[in-house]
Amino acid sequence: MATLDSHARVHATTVIERRELATGVALVTLDAPELSAATRAGQYLMAIPPSAQSAATALAIYEAEGNLASILFFITGKRTRELSELRAGDRLDVVGPLGNGFDCSSDARDVAIVAGGVGIASVLLCARSLCRRGARVRLFYGARTRELLVDAQRFADAGCELVLTTDDGTFGERGYVTAALARARKPDEIYACGPSPMLRAVARIAGEFGVRAQLALEETFGCGVGGCWGCVVPLIGSSAQAPSFPPAEFGGSDVVYARICKEGPVFWADELRW
Amino acid sequence: MVIPTPSIATRLGALELEYPTLMGSGCYGSGEEYAPFADLSMIGAIVLKSVTRLPRLGNATPRLVHTPAGMLNAIGLQNPGIEWYLARELHKYASRPCKIVGSVAGFSIDDYAYICERLAARDEISAVELNVSCPNVASEGETFGCDPGLTAKVVRAARATTDKPLIVKLSPNVTDITAVAREAEAAGADALAVINTVRGMAIDVETWRPRLGNITGGLSGPAIRPIAVLAVYEVAQAVKIPIVGQGGIENLSDALEFFLAGAAAISIGTANFTDPRIPERIASELRAYLASRNLTSLDEIVGKANVEFATPHQYEGDEG
Repeated sequence: MATLDSHARVHATTVIERRELATGVALVTLDAPELSAATRAGQYLMAIPPSAQSAATALAIYEAEGNLASILFFITGKRTRELSELRAGDRLDVVGPLGNGFDCSSDARDVAIVAGGVGIASVLLCARSLCRRGARVRLFYGARTRELLVDAQRFADAGCELVLTTDDGTFGERGYVTAALARARKPDEIYACGPSPMLRAVARIAGEFGVRAQLALEETFGCGVGGCWGCVVPLIGSSAQAPSFPPAEFGGSDVVYARICKEGPVFWADELRW
Repeated sequence: MVIPTPSIATRLGALELEYPTLMGSGCYGSGEEYAPFADLSMIGAIVLKSVTRLPRLGNATPRLVHTPAGMLNAIGLQNPGIEWYLARELHKYASRPCKIVGSVAGFSIDDYAYICERLAARDEISAVELNVSCPNVASEGETFGCDPGLTAKVVRAARATTDKPLIVKLSPNVTDITAVAREAEAAGADALAVINTVRGMAIDVETWRPRLGNITGGLSGPAIRPIAVLAVYEVAQAVKIPIVGQGGIENLSDALEFFLAGAAAISIGTANFTDPRIPERIASELRAYLASRNLTSLDEIVGKANVEFATPHQYEGDEG
């Protein structure tokens, strides 16, 4: 995709603010000028646990503006719990920015961004970039319930039109966000981040529309920097993102496992073989 | 009086290491991945990901699951195969500021011999690790390392093809690790890596499905450290060749346990996933530790665990 992670470094950051956007959803803002300056839409960081008691946690970089960078995440276990308990003034070392993010350089005029649940954390920078260059951006944003539909206003402020859905119908349209996408006007291009079943549905709908889609994938990371091959997804061997692997005539295969952390996390939907 | 800086240099056979830290195979890529965040001139060697005779796609996903104090993995030896590796990959490693150790995995004794022979001529690598203990491949990846006789055959076959130092990586999933260690030594191994991952499994209680695509995996991280320390201690009593201690090392204290148990070097794997600065931190702190004890070299602590316990406390009424 668009960017390389050659700017990745260990950054010693300071927590500026920690907010709970909903029960179990934290937004932590860091003073991290170099990280912020280097970050491109769709990239992530590895947060080194202050306790050093567990593996680092991969988190999408939500905002990167001026001196500030933020992470928005759901508290799902011990590692994210520890990060959610950070207070203003605490130190947090992070490695980043990492991965190849969204390619926002196309001249598509009418763009759909699809976010499911915590996937919203990966698409704000993308939305801002697209709005800034004058594209018409519709954000299809779905969550389980009203309370978990966090921070939608920030996307409206950026210039997005919002299509909001909840699984339980407590806000917006009832049902999956992909159902709303399928009923909507055909966009020129789709950008998406969310749970795997949602991304598969987005890929299918993009195929039906006949447009390309960029999908930001999520997986359990080991190292997060391309060293362990733990977070992989099958990709067609002819993809520009495919890692070096022998072609079939050398005993290889035309499908290869690509590292979500290194070659991704954003892939073209039509190059995935999942 | 000038007190000399203690030396933390070590040797594994003919492999001389300025730092006694190896980066575990499959945990550190080729070093390129970590170069932006870690000072590779402050580590001893990178053990490359194992290479096999033919390309391998590796296991289905998920390949990793975080577990209490550790991690289960089942990558399945994903690698491009020896031909592609020699033609397209290996030359990139020549410029690393640390030593490079190749790692070889096979499905037959001939596989090991063939790959070792192909690697023997390449200057990019300073030593070869024989991975006879991968727990994550469907057909007998670990069988070699679990059978002392087969381990000996693999080491002998590899030995015949190369003068490079051979490090044999032992499996903990055996009844008597010292039996395998002795056979590997007798067959010509220069050093032993102790231990590979411990077999494990995790099940998702919502879906009732295994949490790894491969169903089973190898456990690493602090959860296995005491198992590894014991294995190093026992192997050190059984053989004379140096040992690379590995299994959940995260800090100086952990590293010291392994040196005291008998390791001449340590390998760091999963801890790099916590903080890529851990290897260089351990090296600096190890030097400071030796200085604080007025020791001049690492050799002075290797295998020095004091197991001559005083008579156990006797309690009233404890008549044995």
